[in-house]
Amino acid sequence: MADDTTPPSTITRERYPPGDLAIWIFILAELAVFAVFFAAYAYTRMNHVELFNSYQENLDRGSAFINTLALITSSYFVVRAVAAIRDNDHRHCVGWLLAALGMGALFLIVKSTEFAHHLGQGITLSTNTFYMFYLSLTFFHFMHVIMGMVILAAVAWKASQGEYSHSQHTGVETGASYWHMVDLVWLILFPLVYVMR
Amino acid sequence: MSMEKPVILGIRACTWIWLLLLLLSLMTFAVGELELSGLKVSLGVLAIALLKGYLVGAYFMGLNRIQGFWRWPVTLWLLLPGCLIGTAFVLAG
Repeated sequence: MADDTTPPSTITRERYPPGDLAIWIFILAELAVFAVFFAAYAYTRMNHVELFNSYQENLDRGSAFINTLALITSSYFVVRAVAAIRDNDHRHCVGWLLAALGMGALFLIVKSTEFAHHLGQGITLSTNTFYMFYLSLTFFHFMHVIMGMVILAAVAWKASQGEYSHSQHTGVETGASYWHMVDLVWLILFPLVYVMR
Repeated sequence: MSMEKPVILGIRACTWIWLLLLLLSLMTFAVGELELSGLKVSLGVLAIALLKGYLVGAYFMGLNRIQGFWRWPVTLWLLLPGCLIGTAFVLAG
């Protein structure tokens, strides 16, 4: 669609994705791990359909929806941050990154509340197979959100110090690519664990 | 000037993609809240999730501007768990 709105003369195709190529190797490795997790969840569910459907009802779908909106919006804010630094606009780049971090913080607060609720009910990894997958999958992703926020915070700090420019902003693109990966994983995790039955 | 125009247009496209992602997420949430279930519903929800993933990869990650090998890993990744999850749900009935 972007190509549709961009005049043909301005389309330039590149050979490598935005950011450091090393982060893309890391991203693909992370995605592979999550793919195994998702497949394991789906195939284990095959033999425990009633159990999975029953305990899925206990999950807070509203919280998960808020978190979905938070991560999608934070990803969009990161897109704006990259666009700003490409335009040599440091102030807006930092602003958009801080806004993305705010959305990330919202995700952590909502998810922590959900975890606290489950722990308060005495639910742990060993409660049953469904909760083993639910808790381990969502906590694994939770840790990635924290890591992504640390990266975005470091990028925002460097951007505020004027270390990026129109011609040198690989760091911003690298952080952005990682953050989009965190969003991407949640976009599969949310329907799989909270909705599909 | 010629450097700025593509960026502005790219952002406009990404803004529409962002709104579309919010709408698709609302649809997924609505399916859950209406307690719709069954194989067709599950596969429909999965298809929406894969579409959302494609949009994030293509537009937010900027992979639609890449040519060659690096254009495809995220799309292929979406297809891998997508097929595995879909197959598992079909087998589960």
